[in-house]
Amino acid sequence: MGSPPTLDKRDSVAWVRRLTRTTPGVVGIIAIVVAACCVLAGLVCGGQLDRRIAEHNAVLDRSEPLAYSAQKLYAALSAADAAAAAAFLSGGIETEPMRARYKQALAEAASALTEVTAGTTDAEARATVADMSAKLATYTGLVESARANNRQGFPIGSAYLREASSLMQSALLPGAEKIYSGDLAALNGDQRAVGSVPTVSLVLLGLVLTAIVVGSVILVGRTNRQFNVGLIAAAVAVLVVIGWIVLATRLAVSNIEDSQTEGTAKFEHLATASILAQQARTDETLELIARGDITAREKSFAGHMDEVAALLSMGPQAAADAVTKWTTSHRKQVEAYQGGDYPAAVAQAIGPDPGASAAQFTAVESSLRNEIEKTRDTLRDRVATAGKRLAWSPTGTLVLMMVAAVAAVVGLWPRLKEFL
Amino acid sequence: MRTRVVLALFALALAAAGCESSTPPTPVTVAPVEAWPAGAEQVTAAPVMGNPECDREASLRPGPLPSPGAMPPGSTMAAIAERGRLIVGVDQNTYLFGFRNPSSGQLEGFDIDIAREIARRIFGDPDRIQLRVVDASQRESALQSGLVDMVVRTYSITCARKQKVDFSTVYYYANQRILSVKDSGIDSAAALSGKRVCAVTGTTSLSTLFALNPRPTLFGVSTWTDCLLLLQQGQVDAISTDDAVLAGLAAQDPNLEVVGPSIGIEPYGVGVKKENSDLVRFVNGVLERMRDDGTWVRLYEARLRSLGPSPGPPTARYQD
Repeated sequence: MGSPPTLDKRDSVAWVRRLTRTTPGVVGIIAIVVAACCVLAGLVCGGQLDRRIAEHNAVLDRSEPLAYSAQKLYAALSAADAAAAAAFLSGGIETEPMRARYKQALAEAASALTEVTAGTTDAEARATVADMSAKLATYTGLVESARANNRQGFPIGSAYLREASSLMQSALLPGAEKIYSGDLAALNGDQRAVGSVPTVSLVLLGLVLTAIVVGSVILVGRTNRQFNVGLIAAAVAVLVVIGWIVLATRLAVSNIEDSQTEGTAKFEHLATASILAQQARTDETLELIARGDITAREKSFAGHMDEVAALLSMGPQAAADAVTKWTTSHRKQVEAYQGGDYPAAVAQAIGPDPGASAAQFTAVESSLRNEIEKTRDTLRDRVATAGKRLAWSPTGTLVLMMVAAVAAVVGLWPRLKEFL
Repeated sequence: MRTRVVLALFALALAAAGCESSTPPTPVTVAPVEAWPAGAEQVTAAPVMGNPECDREASLRPGPLPSPGAMPPGSTMAAIAERGRLIVGVDQNTYLFGFRNPSSGQLEGFDIDIAREIARRIFGDPDRIQLRVVDASQRESALQSGLVDMVVRTYSITCARKQKVDFSTVYYYANQRILSVKDSGIDSAAALSGKRVCAVTGTTSLSTLFALNPRPTLFGVSTWTDCLLLLQQGQVDAISTDDAVLAGLAAQDPNLEVVGPSIGIEPYGVGVKKENSDLVRFVNGVLERMRDDGTWVRLYEARLRSLGPSPGPPTARYQD
């Protein structure tokens, strides 16, 4: 260590200074700088576009399935609660379809919970999911205690059911809602990332273009010749790359916007409607179980149904129709209840009559479920198309920029050769 | 000099590398789930009851009982007859007195039988009745607002309540006792010291427990079955209220028993809106008829057999 490197440095600086005073030196430097810029920009742009595609894959492989599972978890938990209440209302031994409905909702909740658990990475969300797992186990325990006591004719069964429902309403559903809205926000973020303008790439390509232009001008000044064909070819290649990136990104952006309006936003609408419908169903059943003053529950039911109706104003029509019929049936239930005919009110709520609430609620639920699946397909389809728009852009960018580098070197070689 | 700086930097780099030890990522931990029934809370403030002096068991003397379907015009009973059904506030969570039979989905019990007898005396039909479930803490407000015509719901007659609503004569005497796990050592009010005890918010039982010295840790809930739930979940050590209610709870769990001497006597009456004194007299008439013609004993045998042999109907006391 000591003075030798300093001496070397001084030497090389002097050498470069000498080189820039000679024409072949300048030509050589321009060739090297332009080629290097092209290769570098090609690598960076290709990388950035590649990341864009990776983000699109992340939407399709991670954030969209996660948001879907979280929605399913929320809906399945609400469905389990509504089913448990309806089964309880039906009296001592619930019918096979009622039990099956509860078991189905529970199975769906369990599978959705597994998927959400597998996909959740941030610590806070993981803690929420773990808490929900523990509480879901407690919930099912309470529901089974309610059944066991019911079968023996003990009124404490209803206390266990009320406790289970309270656990669901106060802890499990808010937890599911938190996870769902978090995942939905993540999905929206990832979608935006796919469609954002790759600024760094464009700035870099602009710089390359400037370098080529400056190089050409210097060259023209030094050699008194026309513009170099190689550099022009390189410039054209860079312009093609810029055009490609702008066009592909614009197309992808419009697909992503579609995926958000026709997909995510509608998905959110439908999912909210489905959950509100489940909660209205729970209101309707619990007010009969409580068998007291129904004013508060009725207000809650009406609020939920109004929101559902508002959300369904843009379709699907089948669900909106069923909601209207359900409201009519519910009014009959309330009339029967207020008139003191409790069995008729119960029959209206959970009886097998195709015009009654149970059937209409099922119609709302299945119609919404189908529509959610359809919307999900649309969402994924649009995002996939956006990905296709970008598919060849990293490779294309890299190849074209290599071509530009080669063109610059090949174009400048004859100029350099004249001096050798 | 320079060598020393380089060495120092090197040492620092080594130390920094050493600091980067492999601490495991924070594991997810979950607290054990403790489920509580909705509305359960620890009672720390004295229940608002007030304790004015009065002759709580004395009620209005009945006139001649009108025959079913022929209520005196202009009376409260005539208005009920006009409506076509009697609306009664009852309980659905007190085994033996007012509970929902899970296998039939119907409300049953001693209180509900009494209510049906009153409906039979108005309409000639015990089924012309609408049963409305009211919580213990809503009984006075349900009567005052006219939500129900009467409350037959293990309703202890107290002087404080008598200032807000009217009561019929006593139709059942209950004793406040203790329900605890067998062999738990809790067998008297004194043994409750330092224990966790459950009662329904707004009941006389809770006031009595609050007045105990030393006062146990008290939990208030909305129904008696919620108390049993807390006992089964190990969240309280004992429940204390009327023996009739406790017997209903004990019948649902063979590990529990009703223990200890009476902490207080609770006379049950039918609650009626204060302005409807004609209805109070009518109900007293119906109760008198039930005592005399053996209906009371028949209902006791049908519903309350498990509490022991019939003590016979309580004697009515009238104030005028």
